[in-house]
Amino acid sequence: MQKRGLIFYARMYRKILVQDLKSKMSYRADFVISTFGMIMTNLSGFVTFLILFRNFPTINGWDYYHMLFLYGFSLVALTPVQCFFDNNWNLRFMVQSGDFIKYCFRPVNVFFYFISEVFDVKGLGQLAFGIGTIVYAWVHIGIPVTPLVIVKLIVYLLTASLFMIALMNFAAATCFWIKGSGYVMVIMFRFKDFAKYPASIFSGIFKVIFTFIIPIAFIAYYPSLVILQPGNVPPLSWISPLFGIVFVYLSYKFWMLGVRKYDFTGS
Amino acid sequence: MNPKRLLAITRAGIMESLQFRLGIFVTLFANLIYLVLVYYLWKAIYDSSGTDVVNGMTFTDTMIYLILATALFNFLEMFVVWDMSRKIQSGALVLDLLKPMRFRKYTFWSYTGNHVVQFVLTFIPTFIVVMIVTGGAIPLGLNIVWFIIATVFALIINYNIEMLVAPICLFTESTWGINIVKETIVLLLSGATIPLAFFPEKARMVVQYLPFRAVYDIPLSILLGKSGSDTWQGLLQLFALQIVWMVVLTLAGNLFWNCAVRKVTVNGG
Repeated sequence: MQKRGLIFYARMYRKILVQDLKSKMSYRADFVISTFGMIMTNLSGFVTFLILFRNFPTINGWDYYHMLFLYGFSLVALTPVQCFFDNNWNLRFMVQSGDFIKYCFRPVNVFFYFISEVFDVKGLGQLAFGIGTIVYAWVHIGIPVTPLVIVKLIVYLLTASLFMIALMNFAAATCFWIKGSGYVMVIMFRFKDFAKYPASIFSGIFKVIFTFIIPIAFIAYYPSLVILQPGNVPPLSWISPLFGIVFVYLSYKFWMLGVRKYDFTGS
Repeated sequence: MNPKRLLAITRAGIMESLQFRLGIFVTLFANLIYLVLVYYLWKAIYDSSGTDVVNGMTFTDTMIYLILATALFNFLEMFVVWDMSRKIQSGALVLDLLKPMRFRKYTFWSYTGNHVVQFVLTFIPTFIVVMIVTGGAIPLGLNIVWFIIATVFALIINYNIEMLVAPICLFTESTWGINIVKETIVLLLSGATIPLAFFPEKARMVVQYLPFRAVYDIPLSILLGKSGSDTWQGLLQLFALQIVWMVVLTLAGNLFWNCAVRKVTVNGG
């Protein structure tokens, strides 16, 4: 297969995206209810947060507004995986039913074609909610607003989002080997709920596990420290973009390995 | 209805669930990791608060409560909403409607096998691990018997909530949205994400009487001897609440289903 440029893929993504949105528009009730559901989950997370802080004013030295910032940060960081990589949830059904074969017959990258097929609009609600939370917390903490800080914020938000993308790719790709592996995805998706707490609560061996093996600590904590504690940024925060890229690359390789291993069901 | 026939359905369900052994072990393993996460989070929270008891809950209480809530969640989880929407799309719903058994009854019993497997293979091991980690902080006595009864009631209430929500798919063609709304409401108001004891006083007064509490909070309170369940009067009150909701939801579910089933349109799949 010849190599194709980024422009080719970008143009194709746009075309597939338009088709997907058109098909979504034909289920308007579903769209409205799904958006409502997304708002509900975010509200519920927020209510849990408020109840927690009503009972406990600080957690591990983090006060209300710093925690709120971390919470907003995690919401924004989770948006790309929600919007662009949502088709991973369908992977196991496609593999089981054999429909997955259609992706292998196109002269484009299988991973790209599969992932580009679904764009999840309701993730945008979460993005808005997350940005609102960050701004609110930002004002109350009183972090100075300079162009450099904004650039840092964007870079590290993107960094943080890489880790969840990698995790979900890994989790989804397990279905090439394990039948009924939906559990793995559900569980990984639930671990993200812990991303909004400072990873400094972990100690010992679990600190290593939740930093390097199941990188929950990178989904919000380490990248956000660059903004929250500008005077005292741990080295792990600085090199997190590099880690993120490595993680995503490994997950992509793992996913593609699964594709190669995939033997088609006869039907 | 002959109980033997019902048990045959349960047995089929058990065998079906055992096909996914690996999935069960993954669930169990994930529960253990989850246990670690909950442990560290709440340890940090209690360490920062400076007191040992918050709203009548000690650190150990909270931890046991949340971990067993997760284990209960795995055990009670039913995919009625998903299964029904898939059956509507493929047309397989018709086959179930044609069975010589009431649809609601059949659906309920076809899930029981999975419940049995989940209870034995995920809930009990999680329970044992919690017992070991906390050094036997869960009192073992009559409360275990009451807990099992309350869990059966919780199962029925949960099924009825599912069956009230699932037919909505018949009208809206939305599955993800409906399911996520249901799950969010149930998990928050039942105390599965944060124990009800931490809710503000006024909110608790309302939540206390809602059916969601009967699914997670009541069985767990009974197990831990909280919410006045250590006296006969308190225990009876909790059971009464469960029974009232069980009856109300069963009736409502029946009515709604009978109404909704007439709307079913199956494309000649």
